[in-house]
Amino acid sequence: MRILGIDLGSRAVKLALFEEERLVESRIYDTAVFYRDYCTNTNQKISIDFGRLEFGGFDKIVSTGYGRNNVNVENALVIVELKAHTFGAVWQTGLENFTLLDIGGQDSKVISVKNSRMVDMVLNDKCAASCGRYLENMAGVLGIGLDELVRHHKNPVELSSTCAVFGESELIGKISEGYGIGELAAGVNYSLFKRVKPIVERFPDDNLVVSGGVARNEALVSYIRKELGFKQIVIPERPQLNGAIGCCTYYIATSRKKS
Amino acid sequence: MKRIGFTTSIPVEVIFTAGAIPVDLNNIFITNDDPGRLIEVAENAGFPRSTCAWIKGIYSVIMDGGGIDTLIGVVEGDCSNARALVEVLEQKGVDCISFSYPNSRSYDQLKKEIAKLCSYFGVELEDCIKVKKELDRIRKRLIYLDELTWKHNKATGFENHIWQVSSSDFNGDYISFEKELNEKIASIEKRAPKIEGKKRIGYIGVPPINGDIYDFVKSQNARVVYNEVQRQFTMADSVGIQDVVEVYRNFTYPYNLRGRLLDIKGQISKRKIDGIIHYAQAFCFRGIEDIVIRKELNVPVLTIEGDRPGNLDQRTKLRIEAFIDMLDQ
Repeated sequence: MRILGIDLGSRAVKLALFEEERLVESRIYDTAVFYRDYCTNTNQKISIDFGRLEFGGFDKIVSTGYGRNNVNVENALVIVELKAHTFGAVWQTGLENFTLLDIGGQDSKVISVKNSRMVDMVLNDKCAASCGRYLENMAGVLGIGLDELVRHHKNPVELSSTCAVFGESELIGKISEGYGIGELAAGVNYSLFKRVKPIVERFPDDNLVVSGGVARNEALVSYIRKELGFKQIVIPERPQLNGAIGCCTYYIATSRKKS
Repeated sequence: MKRIGFTTSIPVEVIFTAGAIPVDLNNIFITNDDPGRLIEVAENAGFPRSTCAWIKGIYSVIMDGGGIDTLIGVVEGDCSNARALVEVLEQKGVDCISFSYPNSRSYDQLKKEIAKLCSYFGVELEDCIKVKKELDRIRKRLIYLDELTWKHNKATGFENHIWQVSSSDFNGDYISFEKELNEKIASIEKRAPKIEGKKRIGYIGVPPINGDIYDFVKSQNARVVYNEVQRQFTMADSVGIQDVVEVYRNFTYPYNLRGRLLDIKGQISKRKIDGIIHYAQAFCFRGIEDIVIRKELNVPVLTIEGDRPGNLDQRTKLRIEAFIDMLDQ
């Protein structure tokens, strides 16, 4: 049984292929490019040209993305992304009880998982300053790549703007004050951390799992380790693919229940 | 007949007794053909972007729509924004009366306030009992409509909301309201009960600025079987009470959270509610109360925020969907 999981994100489309309950392949595409090169829209449904993708055949497609209402992949079983992330995190970490922090391109969410099930959740999706897009923008202002930005965590400059847009002006101000790239980059990372801290602290647990593209931000993870009270911080092997993996493992778990 | 607008529920018995027409300005605003435009009018007049939409809507209903002879502004027991609104309207030459629900719930203080209102309209407090008896007859029917929702599972969450919320002013004419309500109830009674197995949701907080929330919940295989503040507007718990002052002391909305929570907890238990949606208007102080509400209620709580009138936005839909999905597990 081959299952394809698709997570249609705001900045990246993630694909995971499971065969006989094992992850056999995964890919990440830029969202705009994916829609442009591999999709057509027929009758309000997204039709993916799998031939072009060269994934081979599969028996089932399960998709998720920003809001079940937004995602209409032809012939796919659509699940809520919060559910996809929960299942993905459980499968990737083997943990049944944890708090899950997922920071994506344009939102961040915290899910409380008990006995492998989502029992509570908080979304921060009105605020652009608490997600990946913010980091991309600020890296651009600093003239460095994201890979460079996420490495810096020492001596962060104070960035106090509530708003991502005003934050840019504030950062430019700091550049003119003579701060080094390292401190500026750390300041950006730390300001993101400050914004997610209140929502993560809502769900204390022994374990914190961090997923989503921003989980690869080493600086953010170092602040989490230093300042939050979790005993164990787990970054799954494929944090950005968490949702897509969850799509597949959700289907596997529910079809197992039926048989 | 004079049209008396008000910013939130006030002793409507006084208005009817005076032979005037009560007008709940919130309802006029939200049922306007273009409520978004009313918000713009207020913002152009200087109301901040980051202020409650209901206040802006009420301002525009009065200034832009006209037809209101006097405004009763509830300056204590709703919020401070209402107080500021009255100050703006007074400056613009609108005839305003301030009404306060005393924070202490003191009988004597509330009686003084209601007496002031009576005096303005040239009626006596005792005269209001007659009208109260008429209204109570209708309120009993509203209690029954509520039962048709949660007990008999026939009325929809939206019907439960719209009929109860309209009882703040009985649409200005309680005789017609009674007739229409009874017709509606008769047609609801004929329905088959909703299929069980749907999650039972309670809606607490101020009425939603997004009217499609009830249909959306329905589309997610759940039903709203309780509307906290709308039910409070019907003064259901005071039917039969002869003392008008006591009625508006029992009304939980203008007073502290404790009274509201007692009411809500009782209803959760009685209606076998699976989960609560707590709605707070954007920029409203009641968002702070969420901190207490979450700790006090023993059922899962989803907090959502509404800002502009119109349909629910995608993010809120996602939250509601995920919440109901979670209740299903």
